[in-house]
Order: sequence, then C-alpha cells, then structure tokens
Amino acid sequence: MTSTSKRRWSGIALLLLATSSAAMAADSDADALALKPESATEETPVASKLFVEGADGRADQRYGLGSRTISRATVDFRHSSRLNPSTQATFSARIDSTDPPDPRIDGAVLSLREAYVGWQDEAATRVVEFGRINLREGPGYGYNPTDYFRDHALRTITTVNPFSLRENRLGSVMLRAQRLWPDGSLEVVYSPKLESSPSSDGFSADLGSTNARHRGLISLSNRLSETVNTQLLLYKEASASARVGASLTALVSQAAVAHAEWSYSREPDLLSRALEQSDNPQSRHRLAAGLTYTTGTRLSVTAEYQYNGFALDRGALQSLATDNPSAQVAYLTQSQALQDNAARQAVLVYAVQRDLGLKNLDLTALVKFNRSDSSRMVWLDLRYRLDKIDLALQVQRNTGAAGSEFGSNPIRNSSGVVATFYF
Amino acid sequence: MMDPGRVMNIRARILASLLWVAAVAQAAPDAQRILAASDAVRNPGRPFSVTVALTEFQDGKRVDSSSMVTYSRTLAQDAQFASLVRFIAPARDTGKLMLKNGQDLWFFDPSTKASVRLSPQQRLLGQASNGDVVTVNLARDYRAGLAAEEDIQDGERKTRRAYKLELDAATDDATYSRIELWVGTENSWPLKGRFFADSGRLLKTVYYRRFASELGTERPTELVIIDGLNPGSVTVMRLSDYASKNIPSSWFQRDYLPRFQPE
Repeated sequence: MTSTSKRRWSGIALLLLATSSAAMAADSDADALALKPESATEETPVASKLFVEGADGRADQRYGLGSRTISRATVDFRHSSRLNPSTQATFSARIDSTDPPDPRIDGAVLSLREAYVGWQDEAATRVVEFGRINLREGPGYGYNPTDYFRDHALRTITTVNPFSLRENRLGSVMLRAQRLWPDGSLEVVYSPKLESSPSSDGFSADLGSTNARHRGLISLSNRLSETVNTQLLLYKEASASARVGASLTALVSQAAVAHAEWSYSREPDLLSRALEQSDNPQSRHRLAAGLTYTTGTRLSVTAEYQYNGFALDRGALQSLATDNPSAQVAYLTQSQALQDNAARQAVLVYAVQRDLGLKNLDLTALVKFNRSDSSRMVWLDLRYRLDKIDLALQVQRNTGAAGSEFGSNPIRNSSGVVATFYF
Repeated sequence: MMDPGRVMNIRARILASLLWVAAVAQAAPDAQRILAASDAVRNPGRPFSVTVALTEFQDGKRVDSSSMVTYSRTLAQDAQFASLVRFIAPARDTGKLMLKNGQDLWFFDPSTKASVRLSPQQRLLGQASNGDVVTVNLARDYRAGLAAEEDIQDGERKTRRAYKLELDAATDDATYSRIELWVGTENSWPLKGRFFADSGRLLKTVYYRRFASELGTERPTELVIIDGLNPGSVTVMRLSDYASKNIPSSWFQRDYLPRFQPE
C-alpha cells in the first residue's frame, strides 16, 4: 500500500470513528431525553427532622477485661419554625441508651441541645435570640480552640467522629445579639450561671454542665474577600482571665481550602484542672491549622495540625503514666470533658470518599496521631445511603504504648453495624 | 501602465466588497446580546425562589432523588447571582444549607452547627452545583462568539433553528472553562448546553425543555443533565413554584446561615 492510500484509509477510519462517536452521543442523549420525569418525587419543605438509630457490635478490651458486646439506641429530633414573619422557635433533643451504660448518669441520657426563640428584622441585619443555644465557633475539623462554649457540653459520647460528636452537644442558656452587614457581623453573648454542678439524672436538662458560671463573648467576623474570611473573639468567664482568639478560612485553589484557628489565654494547665489545683495559671496558646483538598474523583482529604499549650508534653505524659496512673486517668477524663486535646501536639487526617465504586456508598476515615506519646486512633465508617435508611459498618482501633493517650483507652478495638432510619 | 477602465473596475469591486462586508457585519447577530437574552429567559430580573427536584438515573434506572429550594438574587448592579440552597429532601439532609456568593462557598448543617467553607471543586461534585446551570448569569462571566446557525434536536426531540454560541470564561467566577450553548433564533430560549472543564473534558450536556410561563415570561421548567464522562448517568431537574421574593442581601454570608429562618 502506498503512503497516499495509507493516509486516505486512516482519514476514512478517523471520519468513521468521529461519525460513530457522534451517533453514539446522539443515541445516549435520545435515551436520556426519553426518561420519564414523572418519576421525580415532589417534596414540600418540612420544619422537623426525626431519626432513630440502632448500633450493635463487639469491643475488644484492655486490662484483662476480654471481649464484650456494645450497643446503642438513639432517638433524635429537631424542629424549627416561624411563629410569625420575624420570630422563630427551635427545639432540638436526643435520647441515647447505651450498653454498657455511662456510669456517671442513671439510665438513658437526654441531651436537650436547643430550645430558644429568635427575632430578626425584615432586612435580617439585627438578630436577637434567647434560650438554650448551641453556639459553635471555629473552622477546625477535630479541635476548636475558639469554640469557648464546648467544655462540659457532651452528656454522653457515642462516637469519636468529631462531626457526629457535635450532633450530641448541649447548647448553653444565653442571650445573644447579632448585627449583620453584607461582609460581616458583630455578635455579643451573655450566658448566666444557673446551676452549680452537673446532673446525674438521665432526663435532666443538665444546666449545671453548661451554665455553671457567668460567661460572655464578643466576636467580629469579616469577609476580607471572596476567598478569605476572618473572625476575632474575646471571651470572659467569672473568676478567670479573658481569652482572645482568631480564626481564618481561605480558598487556596479551585480544589483546596485552608483553615486556621488560634486562642491565647491565662488559665491553669489541663493537669491542674484535672486535679482541681487552680492556683497556678499559665499563659499559653492553642492552635489548629489544616488544609482540605478535593479530587475530581469525589475524594476529600483534610490534614490538620493541633497544638495545645496547656497539655502535657512527651516527657511529662510518660512520667505521669508511670508515677501516678490515677492522675493520668483524671487527666484524660478531664480533656474529654473539656473537649480539649490531651496531646501537646497532634495530627488529624480526615478523608471522605463519596460513591466508592457504587452510587451512595461512602467511606469516611479518621486517623488521630498523638505526637507527644506516639499513640493513635483509627476510625472507619463505610456507609450505604438508601432513600430513608443509612446502613454503616464502623471499625475503631486504639493503639499505643501502655500509659499513652490511646494505648490506655479501655477499648483496644471495636467494630459494629449502625442502622439509621429517617422519618 | 494599467488601463484606467480596469482600475475603475477594481475600485468598483473593492467598494462593493466593502459594502457587502459592512452589510453582513450589520446583519450578523451580536453573540453577547443573544447570550444576555437567553440569560433573561432563565433568570428573573428580580430576587426569586424556586423549588428544584432532582432525580438521578443510571442506565435508565432511578438511583437517587433530592429536592431543594433555591433563593437567588444579584447583590450589586451587573453582579453575578448569589444563591442560598436549602435542602428539603431526602430526610437525612433536611434543613442543610449551601451558600454560593462568587467564590465564597459554604455548607451549613443545623444538627452540628458547623459552617464549612467549600472549594469550587467540592461544590461541583455535589448536586447543588447543578443549580449553576439554572441561576447563573452567563453573559457576565463568559465572552460569547457566534459559531454557527444550525438546526438541532431540542429537549422535546423537535428540530429547531438555533444560534450555536461558543463561550469562553472571562472572569475568575466562571465555573466552567468553556461552554457551547444553543439558543433558539425565534425566541432566545436556551435549548442545549455543553459545559467543559479546564482540561477540555466535557463535564455535562444540558437540555432545557418544558417551557412554561413563570414570573412573567416563558422559562424552562425541566432540565435534562447528562454526565460528560458517564453518559448513562442522567439527572432530570424539575423547577416549580417560582416566586418573586424580598430576599435581604445579608442572607448571603456565612454568619447568617445559623440564623436562617425556614418559611
């Protein structure tokens, strides 16, 4: 075959290929246009959200306790509606019953998260709210130094996923006023002391956990540009020094978002608070900074560095575990109650893969690495979403040397299934 | 030396050519104007809300559905639409919000009170980004050129005469690098669009159909969105309950999301 005829045949082949591709595209378009839109469901907005959740699994325990079953049943309800054009009411609560039960609380645990009324003007530039409000600040994924209303806000802990954990969180009773303008807002909060100590009654509103002292917060948010947001905060509670904080989020590229959150305060360190020794306050920093990157294959990965100047460093953690194990238990319990990091330095990696080889099958992976004692926690959630049901398989593994943060967790490994039914 | 008669003849031909070019230039439709007219068919010129029901199909079988209410308005003269999307179905997503104000993108979940900044890539992978094919002012973000005037099969599988416009991204706000858009010559209706990524990859093909009178003009009430990489993946978007609304500009910022009052 001559080179001229070869070129001619290649040209014809390319033309046929292009024609057949165009024909295939036209066919697939025709198929798509033939789909019956009548099968689309018409939904009307609802003011409530209700789900029940059941979990069942096994836990492999440390300290010679062997293996045991673990289970949980949850009812979760939230309602928010307008009473009139400018007034809104919100109620949000959940009940968790766990086996083994939380030894600090009798029976099933009610978390009365929110119950408040809010008013706003027609232009939505002035807002006033009163009641139990879940006020959450800070863009951090796993650690929020500027989230000043987080301490003692969890009645019971049902997951280690920081996002899901926030669903259980109690609000504080407060009066909250906010002024909004197109690129920012100013917020003033006053939260009074109402009770002195937490309640062990499962069905208590437990105001003693969230309103055990007078507290106040002023925060100023500003949108510097389309890609950068900042927030400045000043927080003060009775019998303690003021805390200052700042946070930032920035769009770094079309696929990457950065966040940073910092707080500075003078207060007793975490061990002193655990041992109720409040006579030696220190001035220290807390910080969380991270980056989230999303690929075109629906994978989002967040890496976050966490620093807590009030936590023990590597040497102090090791000597505490050796010399005073009961103080170490109190230290770790206190860090959990305050939702503060037990590690001076930690790294969190949080990854979500949507549609993992199958539509509506999602994998979430969380790894927290305590850089101070080299222990780590790994948590995986493989979830399939049906119309009104979620089915999940969850696995958790805590590893580390004896006496380390995750190496001393009573549960070494656990796995289980979770079913969630939405109504 | 050239014959004077021949010189005159050449001059006459040049003059005739120039007149013809001028006449054609005057008659050729202005691509940017066609695009703006097509934008006006999709987008009411005042703040509005619309209910969007999405049904996803894979190889002809329904695999998912969701519904949301979109609140949209421009925040300044000649600005792009800002939108606040409120999810109403499925039940697990009820009450969640998605804000888009240029590159300022946020997701808010009332159950965790978490406002999370999103990258355009993150948003593009979610269903809310399909709203872009409805409430976006293309004439603001793209430079249009007229590629052809041709007959095409529209979303109702009828043959229609259309201008084929080639749109190239002209601002950082532009979600797509390039768009091919077919606009009806008769009535400026957007009929079909092909949306491309920076890499040149076809992201989606969209057919606009079922035009009906909404807020004073004929607008598309159904869109068929075909995935560029996986043509078996099709989303049918139904638009209903168009309503003109007084939507304050302060809704379109992160700090308002926890304060949003559902109607």
